Amino acid sequence: MPPTRPGAYALSTRGLTKRFPGVLALDRVDFGVRPGEVHALIGENGAGKSTLIKVLTGVYAPDEGEVLRGGGPVSFGTPLAAQRAGISTIYQEVNLVPLMSVARNLFLGREPRGRLGLIDFGRMHRDGERLLSDYGVRADVRRRLGELGVGAQQMVALARAVSVDARVVVMDEPTSSLEPREVETLFGVIRRLRDRGVAVVYVSHRLDELYAVCDTVTVLRDGRTVHTGPLEGLERLRLVSLMLGREIGEVRAEGTTKFGGDHEAASAEPVLHAEGLSVPHQLHGVSFTVRPGEVVGLGGLLGSGRTETVKAVAGAVPRSAGRVTVAGAPVRTGSPGAAIRAGVSLLPEDRKSEGIVPGLSVRENIALAVLPRLSRAGLVSEARIDSLVRTFMERLRIKASSPHQKAGELSGGNQQKVLLARWLAAEPRVLLLDEPTRGIDVGAKAEVQKLVDELAAEGLGVLLISSDLEELIEGSDRVVVLRDGAVVDELTGDDVTEDRLMEAIAGAAEEEPHSEAPAETPAAVPMGDSAPGSAREGAPHG
Amino acid sequence: MAEAVAGRIAPDRAAVHSWLQAYGVYVGVGVLLLFNVAFTDHFLSAENFRTQAVQVAPILIVALGMALAIGSEGIDLSVGSVMALSTSLVALYLGYGPWVALLATVLGGIAIGLVNGSLVAFVGVQPIVATLALMVGGRGLALVLVPQLEDVRDPGMRALGSGDLLGVPYPVLIALALVLLVGFAVRRTTFGRQLLAIGDSRPAARLAGLPVRRVLLCVYVASGALAAVAGFLATARLQASDPTSLGSLMELSAITAVVVGGTPLSGGRVRVGGTVAGAVLIQLLTATLIKHDLPPSWTQIAQAAVIVLAVYAARERGKR
Amino acid sequence: MKPLARRLTAATALLTALALASGCAKSEDEAGKPTSGAGSEGGGQVAAEPTKGAKTCTVGRYGGEKLDLSKATVGFSQSEKEANPFRIAETASIRAEAEKRGVKLLTANAQSQFSKQISDVQDLISKGADLLVIAPLNSDGWEPVLKQAASKNVPIVTVDRQINATACKDYVSFIGSDFVQQGRRAADQMIKATGGKGKVAILLGTPGNNVTTERTKGFRDRIKKKAPELDVVFQQTGEFAREKGQQVTEQLIQSKPDIDGIYAENDEMGLGAVNALKSAGRKAGDVKIVTVDGTRNAVQGVVDKWIHGVIESNPRFGPLAFSTLDDFTSGKKVGQSIVIKDGAYTPANAERDLSKAF
Repeated sequence: MPPTRPGAYALSTRGLTKRFPGVLALDRVDFGVRPGEVHALIGENGAGKSTLIKVLTGVYAPDEGEVLRGGGPVSFGTPLAAQRAGISTIYQEVNLVPLMSVARNLFLGREPRGRLGLIDFGRMHRDGERLLSDYGVRADVRRRLGELGVGAQQMVALARAVSVDARVVVMDEPTSSLEPREVETLFGVIRRLRDRGVAVVYVSHRLDELYAVCDTVTVLRDGRTVHTGPLEGLERLRLVSLMLGREIGEVRAEGTTKFGGDHEAASAEPVLHAEGLSVPHQLHGVSFTVRPGEVVGLGGLLGSGRTETVKAVAGAVPRSAGRVTVAGAPVRTGSPGAAIRAGVSLLPEDRKSEGIVPGLSVRENIALAVLPRLSRAGLVSEARIDSLVRTFMERLRIKASSPHQKAGELSGGNQQKVLLARWLAAEPRVLLLDEPTRGIDVGAKAEVQKLVDELAAEGLGVLLISSDLEELIEGSDRVVVLRDGAVVDELTGDDVTEDRLMEAIAGAAEEEPHSEAPAETPAAVPMGDSAPGSAREGAPHG
Repeated sequence: MAEAVAGRIAPDRAAVHSWLQAYGVYVGVGVLLLFNVAFTDHFLSAENFRTQAVQVAPILIVALGMALAIGSEGIDLSVGSVMALSTSLVALYLGYGPWVALLATVLGGIAIGLVNGSLVAFVGVQPIVATLALMVGGRGLALVLVPQLEDVRDPGMRALGSGDLLGVPYPVLIALALVLLVGFAVRRTTFGRQLLAIGDSRPAARLAGLPVRRVLLCVYVASGALAAVAGFLATARLQASDPTSLGSLMELSAITAVVVGGTPLSGGRVRVGGTVAGAVLIQLLTATLIKHDLPPSWTQIAQAAVIVLAVYAARERGKR
Repeated sequence: MKPLARRLTAATALLTALALASGCAKSEDEAGKPTSGAGSEGGGQVAAEPTKGAKTCTVGRYGGEKLDLSKATVGFSQSEKEANPFRIAETASIRAEAEKRGVKLLTANAQSQFSKQISDVQDLISKGADLLVIAPLNSDGWEPVLKQAASKNVPIVTVDRQINATACKDYVSFIGSDFVQQGRRAADQMIKATGGKGKVAILLGTPGNNVTTERTKGFRDRIKKKAPELDVVFQQTGEFAREKGQQVTEQLIQSKPDIDGIYAENDEMGLGAVNALKSAGRKAGDVKIVTVDGTRNAVQGVVDKWIHGVIESNPRFGPLAFSTLDDFTSGKKVGQSIVIKDGAYTPANAERDLSKAF
């Protein structure tokens, strides 16, 4: 499907090809986005989305083919060159200076100058406030950016990007760390951009979002364009089947998530007891239990203390009070190693910085937590590692060119599978999963969900955190709901429904100080530090 | 237009840089060897190679420890002072025989390593600051123990410094044995694997239950012990205990050898072979400039140029 | 790895024990050794013949009062740690002479930090020093101290290094060696040893140091003038250290095996060169080595025929410094710049004068 009217595109590609050692990442890709259009770019991990974005924004140079901007071929040597050509990118991670004020960040490099060439702070703060309120964001622009929640930081990044006169905005999974209300605000901003004639490329794994905000969709699979067209009238199931390259019947038969029914665990003795877990400013006496063969969901808003809870259990965050026992034996605080030996494994939320060791091979990553067990007198047994790695790569269907490929080079889904393999190799009795399917493709997501089910069926106790309500509901036998670092509700049996969960969580929302936001459209994003742990949970880099 | 050209050649250049970072040091050694064979009088002689090998041995031994420290995303600036301390300890304990002296120096190195490692692993001081303290203090301590150069006259020491076994000088044999030992430790032991994981991603290693503190402690202990052995050998060769100048600026030579050898300063990787080649490169560079009687300042400039090149190659790689 | 932790603990304990024991080991060693380099043993300095018309200074011109040295307090500020034979001998000589004359001596050591030397000197003045002997670390930066000394009428004599100030106004006089002259005399020895023909190498001191520059200048100028057939074919720094001297000489004798002489700008580098020649299987006297300083080890090298000659740079400033102060305080004329007469050790006198070496 080559673009028929190249002149009409704000940004397009023709026959774009990009190779990496052993991989054809992009195979003659044609892609185009028009002014005033929100164009969804979707595909499984490894389909070539990230590579395409990186070529469009000047991070990579194409091996063949060309990028066209406003009808003429361009070649950006650097991301800065792309930015100068009016192409801005909003990444998952915010690329701003956390120690500077919001206003400084908004005007970084183009500060309004007063006499003597000094920065005119008064004007900068007024302009900054106006700019943000244009996008429905209320904030004190004098505060340091790092004090804001991740969602708010992202809004600032977006406001900055569009205010530098971007004609094309590329958003790579912008909602992955936003709360639902923040997502709404973001969509409002995107619609405004569209109305102003900005071309938006929108990458996301969340189908709901695509239908809510996008006009057009391009589906990539295995480095090729498999579909381009309007999103309206395109069935969800059809979209999924395009991405997966599978027939509709197959997809439907498997349902939206891979979770099976409830597990028969109600009668067993709990394997994990957490009593009165406290972490200063973050957790205030959280208690719960997990039985063998049971999947317990941990629900709550961003900043409610979900991540802190699992970290406190796994010894990654020292607790000031409370105790954790696994099968009756107490687990020492502050030592992940002790927790692992006691049978508690944590799949961390932040896969990139706390999970994967990017420079080491897939093999080393899988064996990492169990090296002492696979060694004799400090010497590593390569044979035992090989057999362990082979077993898990097969069982979890990890796609890598070889066990010796660097883990950092894998797609997100495969990295997650490598981490799961690492933790399963440790033979845990309790598995703590913090957002196990965030940022991974549909196929891998289904596989991970199915695996969790199987593991529970085999008798493992699972604690699941997910911002995806559907996943949480379908996956969990029981849901413990957290608010402001304390357990506020527990849903069991027939109460485990999206409605009940929303109610339980919403109970929390009513009590939040900033919820009485003025009825502007779009809704203002509260940018205060209402929940003490919010920035931390959302931004593990901070 | 310039941007367009730059854009198109970018991937090739990145590949070239990444290759250069890993193997450039061998090319450098090759080029220097060829140059010397062609233009340096009496270069191709067993005696000359022996001289270069003996001179490079202490640098190499220190660089091995430095490679471990850098691989763990740290650094050990105290190595030169550890050499000074060990030369003092030789003077103090040689009376009990060379083996006791060697034991004393290694224990001294381990003690310094324990202090460094504790500061880094348990107190959480940045390696560059923690080891800076002993870089300054270590030499001071050495001078307190032995305030001035003392001659070391011992047949055993002399044999270690300038004797040989089957034509290979003892310092070279010892250095090679330590290369194999460190290479083995990095590749085949849990310590080595854990060290690399910690250097690559400390938070991930911690969450994976690795004994981060213990591994870091061991890294600095190993670095201290290796520097102590280097100090012992240098003392044996000099036949004098000279805490004032022995090992001065050794930390810079060692860091250069490691970085030029392709071990990234960002940690997570230890290139033992590259470190050997890096040390040899520095030695050959110095030897070439001296043999051709170029002004001494040129040696420093040339070393600086090599470091800049190596870091440049590393930077290109890091961008990927 | 618990066992490892235990082993490490054991090692630490052992080390502590060894460290404690080292105190004893050290003192036993000391007891057995002859105390080297005491000033009284010989080799005290003598001023070179004053050249005609040399400037002099008197207490009247300087501004101050006569006093009786034997009842005065003298402050001595040393620049560097006593970690090399020169500094050790220098300080020992000052102490010995003070003791001999019954003068009360206050000492301080700047440990190679100029700021410390400034405060050292101020300290000495405030502690009641009537006269000062200073071995300066730097030539510049002395104004504040000199002013303070002048306001309290404390005469100053500087030794071994000159300061940038006016003699007989800011300070009384400077006593030291002429490093250019040392270079010339080393050249004379080298010419004699090689017959004025052949190839020689220079092991330079630390680059940028005035001692290095002057010893090099004297040597090269004299060779150029007196022995044009003697070629300086090699000139590399050994940084005044034995190890570097050894390493550079090793490279030298590989690439220029036919070298006839090596001029080392201090004894340590010369001894390093001897090490290198020995381990390369050369014979004593094969390569003529001339060094500067006059340490015991180097003079022993002359006795053993490995070193051809040693030009003395006498560190025993005690007698001359005190006699100068004595003359000055009793109202006699003293020279503003007193160049000391350095000796030399050659195969002819080395054995006899070995005891004079420091």
